[in-house]
Amino acid sequence: MTDAAASPTALREGNHAPLLVGRGVHKRYGAVHAVRGVDFALSTDRYVTLLGPSGCGKTTILRMIGGFETVTGGSIELDGQPLLDTPPSQRPVNTVFQSYALFPHLSVAENVAFGLTLRRRGRTETAERVSQALQMVRMESMGERRPRELSGGQQQRVALARAIINRPRLLLLDEPLSALDRKMRKEMQIELKDLQRRLGLAFLHVTHDQEEAFALSDLIIVMNHGVIEQQGDPETIYRRPANAYVADFIGGSNLVEGQVVERAAGVATLETPFGRAHAPCAPGVAAGRRASLCLRPEQLVIGREGSLGGIVRHTVFQGADWLVEVAAGSAVLRVRCSDEAAPAIGGAVSLGYEPSKAWIADGALPRDVV
Amino acid sequence: MEGGRTSLAVTVGPVLAALTVLCLAPLGVLFVYSFFHVDFVSIVPDLSLQNYAKVLTSGAYRYLILKALLNGAVIAAIAVVIAYPVAFFIAKRIRVVKAALLTALLIPLYTGDLVRIFAWRLILGREGVLNSFLIWTGLIDRPIEALLFSPMATTLVLVYNYLPFMVLGLWLSFEALDDHLFEAAADLGAGRTTILVRLVLPLTAPGLVAGALMVFALVVGDFLTPQLIGGASGVTVIGAIADLFGAAFDWPLGSAIAWTLLAAMVAVVAAVVVLLRRTPWGNVMFGGG
Repeated sequence: MTDAAASPTALREGNHAPLLVGRGVHKRYGAVHAVRGVDFALSTDRYVTLLGPSGCGKTTILRMIGGFETVTGGSIELDGQPLLDTPPSQRPVNTVFQSYALFPHLSVAENVAFGLTLRRRGRTETAERVSQALQMVRMESMGERRPRELSGGQQQRVALARAIINRPRLLLLDEPLSALDRKMRKEMQIELKDLQRRLGLAFLHVTHDQEEAFALSDLIIVMNHGVIEQQGDPETIYRRPANAYVADFIGGSNLVEGQVVERAAGVATLETPFGRAHAPCAPGVAAGRRASLCLRPEQLVIGREGSLGGIVRHTVFQGADWLVEVAAGSAVLRVRCSDEAAPAIGGAVSLGYEPSKAWIADGALPRDVV
Repeated sequence: MEGGRTSLAVTVGPVLAALTVLCLAPLGVLFVYSFFHVDFVSIVPDLSLQNYAKVLTSGAYRYLILKALLNGAVIAAIAVVIAYPVAFFIAKRIRVVKAALLTALLIPLYTGDLVRIFAWRLILGREGVLNSFLIWTGLIDRPIEALLFSPMATTLVLVYNYLPFMVLGLWLSFEALDDHLFEAAADLGAGRTTILVRLVLPLTAPGLVAGALMVFALVVGDFLTPQLIGGASGVTVIGAIADLFGAAFDWPLGSAIAWTLLAAMVAVVAAVVVLLRRTPWGNVMFGGG
């Protein structure tokens, strides 16, 4: 499973100098092995998300880069210089904390100015840069307020302004939007992305929300159980998941498990309960291994000649189209159907798909999940 | 709305009544008495300011009141210095035995005043544990008399007595401190000293001030400890008031001293509050903007 992760795509991107490089990074807490040897590279000027379920080690990686956790093994370099011996206060990296961690006894402007005052900038320069930073996050009129007088979204903006004022090389964001309601989260996603573009700054954003990762990222690093499952741009992660775990976590796809019969020139033949499937496959897929055919709901077509037959179990009206659940053998496949009317529940249908657009990912999900 | 007002009366009413009857009424009685005077064996209810004049012109009473206030301030300051690191460690560094430590801290409070005081006399006395030990080790060949019945002994025992109040106040402040604030400050470039001065001190200031004021008030009001531990140095203004209400039978003068002391204490507390409001810490403690 780690084969795909061993050669980080970001390392090969020629036009972006590597800003931060982690090699074989490990973190143990006593008996718990939270991060199990991950390699990653971040480029300047890019928005990268670390995506994974809670407890997968993503926040630990962020905190090791920030300097709040020691590293058990491996190395992290920033701009080619080893980073790990530098205390957090000396690292050219700033963090937006999940809880915002605004200083409750200081005003918004004093919070934002905190980093500058430590660098002994002149009064005028400090005031100017504080108002610039507040303008950047559209909070210029709130400078005199206290953090507790602000809404969650406003506190978030202040935390952002405070973190960018020292002009870090890299901005770390630890689940920054998780405390906001859905609408506010969507707005802040756009603002974050926009801010990152305007600042031309590298962002490393930890999240468990795949939609958020897709909305923001130039590069997504998918993690599970302390290892990197896959890293790549959002389209690659979505269309060509390296393995069944990624395909499942990203969501949407129907996964049909099977045995790989043969693999040649990037196309594999998979023996599934519904017959043989030929489709492009992930690098790790090899003859004799278990693999999963990924069929997204919009790729399946009802009524076309196909090898997949089943019974309509459930239909859900979704406005633009219908989501139809078809029971086929032991599996339930979700199909997007744009017809005016949904097929009758209980009726038999056959499902077809375009094999060249399907995808075979390595491995299979644990039984109970499927 | 109506129901809310009723429940407010029900919940706050008894407390207010109890405070009035048990706390304010006796003070009021004292206040009225302070304007009376004693004629041989009876208290004469003629209103006059002669008692206050006596208190303010008498060098002895002025000295005792100032001594009480100064003593309270010194003990509170010593307690802050000792309690600050202790509270920090209990709140932030200790996980497993936290409850046990806090209980141990409070155990002295479960025993009576006199028990604690006599325990200290056993330790510090002429034939006490400490002197015997020092003689046994050969460091001294005669008992050190000054271990007991000295201002130093009084200070030691007073600090011991009231330290738990200081630690508890500070401990609560430290518990409420979000560790992420320290990380955020370090992230922005702050070293340990900066974090202590610009974050920890201001944010624990409410507990520090509350604890210090509590210790101050308790020390000013404690006359048993100085009397039984301090020996000749243990004369206190509260002791003097007690004498006036007892053997000397001059309740009006005693009341006047008590009220003067109270006024002086209120003045000290008010001065502390006003001064603190002007510091950057004021925002944390008093909420203003």
